[in-house]
Amino acid sequence: MAVLLDNVTYSYNINDTHRIDAVKQLSLHIEEGTFVALVGHNGSGKSTLAKLLNGLLLPTSGDVKIFGNSTLDPEKIYEIRKNVGMVFQNPDNQMIASIVEDDIAFGPENLGVPREEIIERVEWALSKVEMSQYRKRTPFKMSGGQKQRLAIAGVLAIKPKILVLDESTAMLDPQGRKEVLKVAHELNKEDGITVIHITHFMEEALDADRLIVMNGGKIAFDSTPREVFKKYEDLKAIKLAVPWETQMAISLKKAGIDLGEGIVNEKELVDSLCRLL
Amino acid sequence: MPIIVKNLTFTYSAGTPYEKKALENINLQINEGDFLGIIGHTGSGKSTFIQHINGLIKPQSGEIEIFDIKLSSAKRPKVDLRALRSQVGMVFQYPEYQLFADTVEKDVAFGPKNLGLSSEEIDCRVRRAIEMVGLDYEAVKDRAPFELSGGQKRRVAIAGIIAMQPKMLILDEPTAGLDPFGKEQILNLIKYLKTHCSPTIVVISHDIDEITRFANRIVVFNDSRIVYDEPMQKLFKHTADLQRMGLDIPRAVKVVNALRAGGVDLGEDIVTAEELLRAIINRYNEKYSTQIDESAGVFDMYDFSQKWLTSEERAELGLSTAVPVEEVKEISKKPNKKFGSKSDKKSKLSKKNVKSKNSQQEDKK
Repeated sequence: MAVLLDNVTYSYNINDTHRIDAVKQLSLHIEEGTFVALVGHNGSGKSTLAKLLNGLLLPTSGDVKIFGNSTLDPEKIYEIRKNVGMVFQNPDNQMIASIVEDDIAFGPENLGVPREEIIERVEWALSKVEMSQYRKRTPFKMSGGQKQRLAIAGVLAIKPKILVLDESTAMLDPQGRKEVLKVAHELNKEDGITVIHITHFMEEALDADRLIVMNGGKIAFDSTPREVFKKYEDLKAIKLAVPWETQMAISLKKAGIDLGEGIVNEKELVDSLCRLL
Repeated sequence: MPIIVKNLTFTYSAGTPYEKKALENINLQINEGDFLGIIGHTGSGKSTFIQHINGLIKPQSGEIEIFDIKLSSAKRPKVDLRALRSQVGMVFQYPEYQLFADTVEKDVAFGPKNLGLSSEEIDCRVRRAIEMVGLDYEAVKDRAPFELSGGQKRRVAIAGIIAMQPKMLILDEPTAGLDPFGKEQILNLIKYLKTHCSPTIVVISHDIDEITRFANRIVVFNDSRIVYDEPMQKLFKHTADLQRMGLDIPRAVKVVNALRAGGVDLGEDIVTAEELLRAIINRYNEKYSTQIDESAGVFDMYDFSQKWLTSEERAELGLSTAVPVEEVKEISKKPNKKFGSKSDKKSKLSKKNVKSKNSQQEDKK
């Protein structure tokens, strides 16, 4: 089991006398090789959950296990962090060197990886995110999507088994979002990396194996994206929305034009409209 | 006539190896009452352009006339930038990063104070601005801006601009990084501000489905030039060209085009979800001789249309006026020694907090 959360609670102290449970008695397991999308409105606890996965935060109660190792065990924490790579929202905050290859080499250098292997890993990581030609360039003048792919490459160089994208697409333009998603799916399919993609955009969850919806520090839904999108009224109630095409079908149904269940993308919407009209 | 731009050209780092042309011969007229959307790929020059309108960048060549203030490359006469900026309000990307004061009230008051207004006038403007962005003045005025949610912080930042009472508002990527709920609130707020605050609004966005929800006119930047300047409904005749520039087209337009390719022609000028819904209903009525009313097609992705009203309006509609307070519970164990030994002042403060939070919760009930 790649990820196992057993009855995990995490509380923030907001002052001396008050605290908020950001994650509440949450239990979850994720099998190796799964592409998981994790959605929820701001404050639903999804980023706290992400930080619990590699021991950036430790549970107030309960236990988080990564490949059987508990994040509470100080002897295992470095192994856990090697296994769980995280990419955050703002690409500018994740660049440390002025040359691309130095930036990618930072992780393995700190792990004491031999020089020859570092060179191999840098090449491999850059080719995985399709940025090999930028090896000697500086990251600072690149687009958001390119920078975010470099951030992913920097994490890949540590050879993690789990990749956590914590709203890594939130600050990107539509093109950049597509690039990052494509890379994440390829890593999942070709290299068997478990991906946990945290996002606000429901349409980014469409191609995931599993969609987990968080609300109030708990899991509200956990199923395939298509199954979750059927609960559109419940999703609305927790400040989320279904994909645009699904909403179009729902609005038509309310007006008395039934296109049938389960429309989640443009092709399905257009096909059923063509048949009807 | 608020804004006339003539032959504006701008080059970054001119005369160095990093020289980069950002604007080339831009001509544009923004009329009073325009709801203008600006789109363009990253690096197409749109941000450089709006920085000119606010006087942050001085024109290198060409002229800009904004509410009778003339900007050009000439050194004299000196431009009254304060007057310009009080008339053109600029909301940058991620404006909440610019919040700095320790209370919401002080932060919003910063702009009007710098305009040299009387303290009564400042208080009045601050209260009005905070309520206009849909926050409860009494509930938030003494809170630290950093305690608020992402969407609320952004609204406080916008309130700081509105408090200057600009005649025109420019917003750069106003919904970037927010969750769908926060986005919807900001979009509704912008529409509200159009009628109640600044009659002329310019919005830059990457999300074309967002822009088509309110713009009446769209300007497209590509490669430092304006390539299209058209009424919203007409722009998407150029779908292929826009896609070639790496720009998204509205989802409704994609669906209409795909349907046309599949032999179903719903007609021209369909850009928004509502227009598509109406067109489908009409077509369905024709084909099946039904009489479904056009207005039955409501595209209500979100269920919280009332959240952005001012507290007076909320009260009128019988809605709760309280700003949602996060679920907070009291810590049962004694506070940590390290933190507990701080001065009396702090513990008094936290007691006060407890009281106000409790009383708010009672109000809710």
